[in-house]
Amino acid sequence: MRRGSDPAIRAAACLALAAVVGLPACSRRGDDLPQPATTAAAPGGIPASAADRPPEPFDPPPLADLDRDAKWIDRPVRDGLKLLREQQGREQPEDTAAEALALRNTSASVNRRILAALGRLPEDGEADFSARVDRHVPGDLGSTNPIMISTTAEFDILGLTGFGLFSFGRDLEPFASAESVVSWQTSADGLLDKVVLRDDMVWSDGKPITAQDVAFSYMVIMDPRVPVPAVRSGTDQMRWVHAYDDRTVVFFHKEPLATNVWNINYPVLPKHVYENTWEADPTLKESAEHVRLEQEPVSGGPYEIVERKRGQQIVLRRRESWSHVGGRQVRDVPFFKEIRFRIIEDANTALLALKAGEIDELALSPEQWTTQTTDDAFSARNTKVTATEWVSFHFGWNIESPFFADRRVRRAMSYAFDHDRMLEKLCYGLYKPAAGNFPEESWMAPKRKLQPYRQDLDKAEALLDEAGWIDHDNDGIRDKEIDGRLVPFEFSMLVNQQPLRIAICTLLKENLGQIGVQLNVRPTEATVIQDLTQKRKFQAYFGGWGAGTDPDSSENIWATGAGRNYVGYSNPEVDRLYAEGRRELDRAKRAEKYGRIQEILYDDQPYTWLFWRNSFYGFSKDLRGYVFSPRGPYNYTPGFGSLWMPRQE
Amino acid sequence: MSGRASGMSGRAARGFWGEAWDRYRRKPLAVAALAFVCLLAAVAVFAPAIAGTKPVLCRYKGRLHAPCLGYFDRRLEPAIFAQDKFRGSYPQNLREKDPDSWAIWPLVFQDPHRAVRENEWPGRPANPAQDAGRPNRLNLFGTDQYGVDVFAKMVHGTTIALLVGVVSMGLAGTIGIVVGALGGYFGGWVDMLTSRITEIVMCVPTLVLILAVIAIVDKPSIWKTMAIIGATGWTGIARLTRAEFLRLKSCEFVTAARATGAGPLRIMLRHILPNALAPVLVPITFGIASAILTESALSFLGFGPPPPAASWGSLLNDARANLSMWWLVVFPGTAIFLTVLAYNLVGEALQEVTDPRLRESRK
Amino acid sequence: MASYLLRRLLLGGLTLVAITFIVYGLARNMPGTPLTVQLGETDPSRKLNPEDQERMRRIYGLDRPWPEGYVRWLGSVFRGDLGRSFSRKQPVITLIGERIGPTFLVSGTAFLLTWLMGVPLGLYASARSGRLDERASSLLLYVLYSFPTFVAALFLQVVFAVWLRDTRWELPLFGMSDLPADAGWLARAVDIARHAILPITCQTYVSLAYDSRFIKANMEEAVRQDYVRTARAKGAGPWRVLFHHAFRNTLIPLVTLLGLSLPGLIGGSVIIEQIFTWPGMGRLFFESIRERDYPTIMGLTLMFSVLTLVGQLLADMLYCLVDPRVSVS
Repeated sequence: MRRGSDPAIRAAACLALAAVVGLPACSRRGDDLPQPATTAAAPGGIPASAADRPPEPFDPPPLADLDRDAKWIDRPVRDGLKLLREQQGREQPEDTAAEALALRNTSASVNRRILAALGRLPEDGEADFSARVDRHVPGDLGSTNPIMISTTAEFDILGLTGFGLFSFGRDLEPFASAESVVSWQTSADGLLDKVVLRDDMVWSDGKPITAQDVAFSYMVIMDPRVPVPAVRSGTDQMRWVHAYDDRTVVFFHKEPLATNVWNINYPVLPKHVYENTWEADPTLKESAEHVRLEQEPVSGGPYEIVERKRGQQIVLRRRESWSHVGGRQVRDVPFFKEIRFRIIEDANTALLALKAGEIDELALSPEQWTTQTTDDAFSARNTKVTATEWVSFHFGWNIESPFFADRRVRRAMSYAFDHDRMLEKLCYGLYKPAAGNFPEESWMAPKRKLQPYRQDLDKAEALLDEAGWIDHDNDGIRDKEIDGRLVPFEFSMLVNQQPLRIAICTLLKENLGQIGVQLNVRPTEATVIQDLTQKRKFQAYFGGWGAGTDPDSSENIWATGAGRNYVGYSNPEVDRLYAEGRRELDRAKRAEKYGRIQEILYDDQPYTWLFWRNSFYGFSKDLRGYVFSPRGPYNYTPGFGSLWMPRQE
Repeated sequence: MSGRASGMSGRAARGFWGEAWDRYRRKPLAVAALAFVCLLAAVAVFAPAIAGTKPVLCRYKGRLHAPCLGYFDRRLEPAIFAQDKFRGSYPQNLREKDPDSWAIWPLVFQDPHRAVRENEWPGRPANPAQDAGRPNRLNLFGTDQYGVDVFAKMVHGTTIALLVGVVSMGLAGTIGIVVGALGGYFGGWVDMLTSRITEIVMCVPTLVLILAVIAIVDKPSIWKTMAIIGATGWTGIARLTRAEFLRLKSCEFVTAARATGAGPLRIMLRHILPNALAPVLVPITFGIASAILTESALSFLGFGPPPPAASWGSLLNDARANLSMWWLVVFPGTAIFLTVLAYNLVGEALQEVTDPRLRESRK
Repeated sequence: MASYLLRRLLLGGLTLVAITFIVYGLARNMPGTPLTVQLGETDPSRKLNPEDQERMRRIYGLDRPWPEGYVRWLGSVFRGDLGRSFSRKQPVITLIGERIGPTFLVSGTAFLLTWLMGVPLGLYASARSGRLDERASSLLLYVLYSFPTFVAALFLQVVFAVWLRDTRWELPLFGMSDLPADAGWLARAVDIARHAILPITCQTYVSLAYDSRFIKANMEEAVRQDYVRTARAKGAGPWRVLFHHAFRNTLIPLVTLLGLSLPGLIGGSVIIEQIFTWPGMGRLFFESIRERDYPTIMGLTLMFSVLTLVGQLLADMLYCLVDPRVSVS
């Protein structure tokens, strides 16, 4: 070893010193995390847009004036549970609960019988109000703040702890919730919605829930500094929300649209908790107080979060103050005393847990439904049910790519695919074929039934020949001359890393290989697909959409330049129909417009529609009261609120 | 080096490798393992002739064709069949379109990429799907949940099983030994540089690299993924090699070699390296064997070979979701076990026959 | 020695900067951003406003070029702030702190068990090399080795959590602890230990074969050396030869291996953690890459890199101790 100061060491030390001193000077507070943009145009960043400004200040006219001029029309205020009870009162199940539990779900008729018998709400004294249920979620909560909802786990959990004024039932028709609202009225010109809240609601910390909270939440959601993309879509269509007193709130709309009824439905934050803290920390998760609130949130719904072990479980407990205020019972007591959400990422482990009785409900995959839940080990403790869900899957063709710009090519793809084989073999015969975005049984489907495509290789080849894709160089793969070069028909399809989806794309690869087209299947992460499709850097992809509660939400997929229009579809007539449909308040006329949109899309085939997915659920034999809507068993009112457990004798 | 010292016995010297092979031949287990590896290689090369739905050789419209080559590369499949609208199905079409045609078929008529359809081979039913595909006369190892024959998948996946380890460890071993040897022998700033490079590569997470490549590259393949694993997995070998070189470079035989005027390259390659290989051969042989397991772990995480190619590891991964189908676990699992065992035995034996000290002691 | 240490520490710092720079560049330039993750998960019926997306990008600082983002991150690290996770809304340090205990519990125990069992196995194998019992045990170890972890995990789950349910041999199926927060500490310790048994088993058996073979190979070589022949000639018993003479000379590769295993102690295994829902670092890392949670990715990389470099430094210094011919120069 050499002694004395090594020149190398000195140089390095100087460098290090410079680094330590110099670097902090370059950075701002809080590293590259959400920075409150205090000015409209951040230096060096992207120029600001309307989305960066809060809504323009609005001077609401006095309530008396509104009442005088508006010519209020009453809108429905309903109790979801009562609705369900009335509906079930009109039906009589074939079997008793005990008989239904002994059935094995092997056919559609058995499925119907099980649902009919076990889906009934309890008679008086039947339900065990001290019961505890273990539910399954595949991932953890990102945040317990109701306006930050974006994942399905959050919808499930925060749907039980959150407070809202509106909801929709099994038929997806909106109504105001009788548990929180006294009256709901819309003005004759469609520009105003007035809601009078009940006066007997309290947050979990004891403070009353008022209209001020509703107006406050609107302000927070609309503030450009608060990072809430999901919840904001819809509220940004409104002009203003104003609380005239503690019980009266009026929503002001920009235009009289049929979709206004969905825009007024957003989650509500407690004003007294956040009013002093949100402006200092608009991200709602950085300041010490906000971090504490993440762990112990104040809830306005029937349940509150009492325990949160990250990555493991979240425990909700029923709160007294929801159903009993001032010593009297004012609302129905929710059936379960405690709901424990157990986080299990791995699907196989989750199924084992269901079989072992460690969880009471689980969403099953089609594979699990067909082969893993038919044995005695499963039926000893559980039963299973299925219902159609309004979620459809498709191949999306990038219309801006040289391959799929021609409509004939897209239709050739739809003809080339072996739909029957997919439905029977890959999907186990469980799914229905899809021909468009709106399901047949919905009100917005076209009157003339659209026939789903079936495989016809001859037609596919004829269409490709017509479009100019012929094997010029005799190598077995079709090609075409584009810009002076011979381009072979070889493209890649982005797909999520899930076995069923990959198998479907592989089937397409096989089919296309039979007619001289080379497809490369590319399984990638979901976020990569999202990124590439948004930037239009793809040729084809496999995706799915939910039909949504209102058909207008699909405008985001099909209108020219719209946010989810990844395939680059553009048709002025479709744009026009959407704009008209939004304004049309007559249901029948609206349906015509959307039906027409469907027909146009069917002819153009920007997607090859594949199938409608069913929801499959395994339920413990101790559970009752599960009822399915087109959005699954939980995403509507009463949703999970209709499940209960019978008292053990 | 004592490798050439057998002039005493009167026979001509066989050279280092010749002698090594002689010694190797005398170990029955090692020979059996090597035979197994050669069998796998043969299976990999002749895979389309063993299991497939395309004829190995056929005469059609007066000319000879070998459509089975299409399994190696799409472009090798003769275009005439596409033009005549065979649509990938040969038995019926050959007979209908050219009555004079004949064909030599693979041993097992099954396809590794898709389920065989009804009557594709006259008189045969379609492959059973879901969990009905137990091993039977037509499907030796059963079928998976989509009806694809497991035997065919395994035969065509042999290439991956064989070579995935060689690719990744070949790369890792070469880079690792070179870097480690340079650093250990020269010391000083060379060692500093190579050590830092080693540390940087050690610390950059492989998972990020793999995900990045899959996301960016348009045609990802299992080989690119294994190349990445090889290009980042050499650090352990480099450290071990460096440690050995550090230890050995002050030994007497090195000083002696230097005294005879040998240059650094010669000293490193011919003198130190054979003595330094012992601890390094273990991670290398294990690495080749375990590459198959790494590959199946990648399938679990979603980074398996792009469809429809199947590897033994991805077969095992499919089996997880279908526990009741035991044949998805037993056959690939046994094959993996035998291959791992074989590679390890070969590696062990290689180590014993090439280590000069071990040889010395056996005399 | 002191100047050597100082040099190594400074070099280590520079290496860390290089590593974090590379990883940050990779992560930022990969397709996919934290926003596309959120969008991908959003209910598909929610509308998407391109302006809103730009606004979100600005809030997350994603509109800046990535070298600038890196410099800002580095600056905040120097001030001891690892930032806040995008997807989990928690400080990165807290996240790591929550996960490091469980990870260490499984990896540390597995590490100890592996070496406690592997070293004797390796010595035994080298002592009885070539004999039937050694061949049989080698074969058994190879069988264990060729079992991929996810298959073994599944098998163990089925056996211990399903077949043996309601017996005294039952083990929990998943998770780290089932007891409510107010249970006593002893009960909780036992509960966590029970939950940890299956993950530990999965992590141990994998390395057993490798480690014992590693030791055996080195021992075989050491045993052939001249000094061992001398020791035997002098009448030393077989165990003394093995332990006192041969084993100590295999210590250099062993030390290397130990140094290389150090980061693995807190790295955890993604697969095992995913299957058993064990709240460990491996899963955290994998998820944070999938979610493009840059602060967490960088925080974890920094931690692993520091540990790796420390491990290498320790190994290098131990060489001098273990082998007098090696000196730091």
